[in-house]
Amino acid sequence: MNPLVLYLLLLKASLTSFSGLGSLPMVRNDFVVERHLLTDHQLNMAVVAGRTGPGPYGLYLVCVAYAVGGFPGAIMGFLALITPAFLVIPLMRWIGARADIPRVRSAIRGLLLASAGLLLSSSVPLTVDAYTGLFSALLMVASFAVLTFTRIDSAWLILGAAGAGLAASLFH
Amino acid sequence: MNPQGLNKESPAPSVKKLTEIFFRIGNTTFGGGYVTIGMLGRELVDTRRWISAEKFDLAFALARVTPGTNLIAFCAAIGALICGVAGAVAAVVALTAPSSVLAVLIMQGFESFQGNRIAMAAIGGTVAAVAGMMWATIWVILRPHVGGLIRNLQVVLIAGGAFAASRIFGITPLPIILAGTLIGFLWKDEKPT
Repeated sequence: MNPLVLYLLLLKASLTSFSGLGSLPMVRNDFVVERHLLTDHQLNMAVVAGRTGPGPYGLYLVCVAYAVGGFPGAIMGFLALITPAFLVIPLMRWIGARADIPRVRSAIRGLLLASAGLLLSSSVPLTVDAYTGLFSALLMVASFAVLTFTRIDSAWLILGAAGAGLAASLFH
Repeated sequence: MNPQGLNKESPAPSVKKLTEIFFRIGNTTFGGGYVTIGMLGRELVDTRRWISAEKFDLAFALARVTPGTNLIAFCAAIGALICGVAGAVAAVVALTAPSSVLAVLIMQGFESFQGNRIAMAAIGGTVAAVAGMMWATIWVILRPHVGGLIRNLQVVLIAGGAFAASRIFGITPLPIILAGTLIGFLWKDEKPT
């Protein structure tokens, strides 16, 4: 894939999201559904790789780009990941004075809610891909509960899940 | 942009010193954006007093409405407030470049383990955990917007509508996001989030 096209596709996903995993619906649509460059399983792997190490969750974009275009692709993914961040500099000047206007606040809220609905839509096939039986379902529920109700670092959660998967395979 | 937001008693640090701080905290903190932002606040506001708490809060709020990953936008904002545009670039690259390399190496490791049954069992466990994390992320996004009949109705209609539009009707994300923003603009929120 042309690196510039890869950069532009990932930039589009990044520019239309407002959290690390918020770009997932757009990425899945472009790379899995429309272009068939990745499978849901590969996309899941990229998300896992992005969340296993330190740094922001959005790093999965670099892994997606690596899976599609190798190391040159990873560089494009990195650039697409960081480019939108610099919009905050003019925003500090422009929105800083308008952030309390109710209609601006409501528009941002509408955007966040639509993003949540899209993330929900993307999570369904990725969850189906991750489901391999009762054990994986229990891990999903435990992971949701740990992140929602405790302050345990997600790195421990990833390590614990890897250990649980390993232990389960040894017992079967 | 001129450096601003510095506490009077603290001299402006060099870009190199700022880079060191973002490199150290950004690449040794696990747990995503909020954990890293907390660590940066402790270092930059409380310990080194390079930026005031008010400016730190402004950067946090604006990073939430900046497209892309909130944490990276937050670093750009803090870097710009302390050392200008050069500080923004340095902070973002120092935070993301090393961890990006590590993420690619982890991805490579996953690919080379494809034929190994034991490694794949461990990876399968983490894939299931990440699926649970995605649902937790959705709840984190929705939770501040839940409460009160009208607000709950907005959540159901906008988030549920976006879900249905994407999942059932196969509409691509961009028009759905634009429609959500427009509905939010027209249907004014009844109380601050």
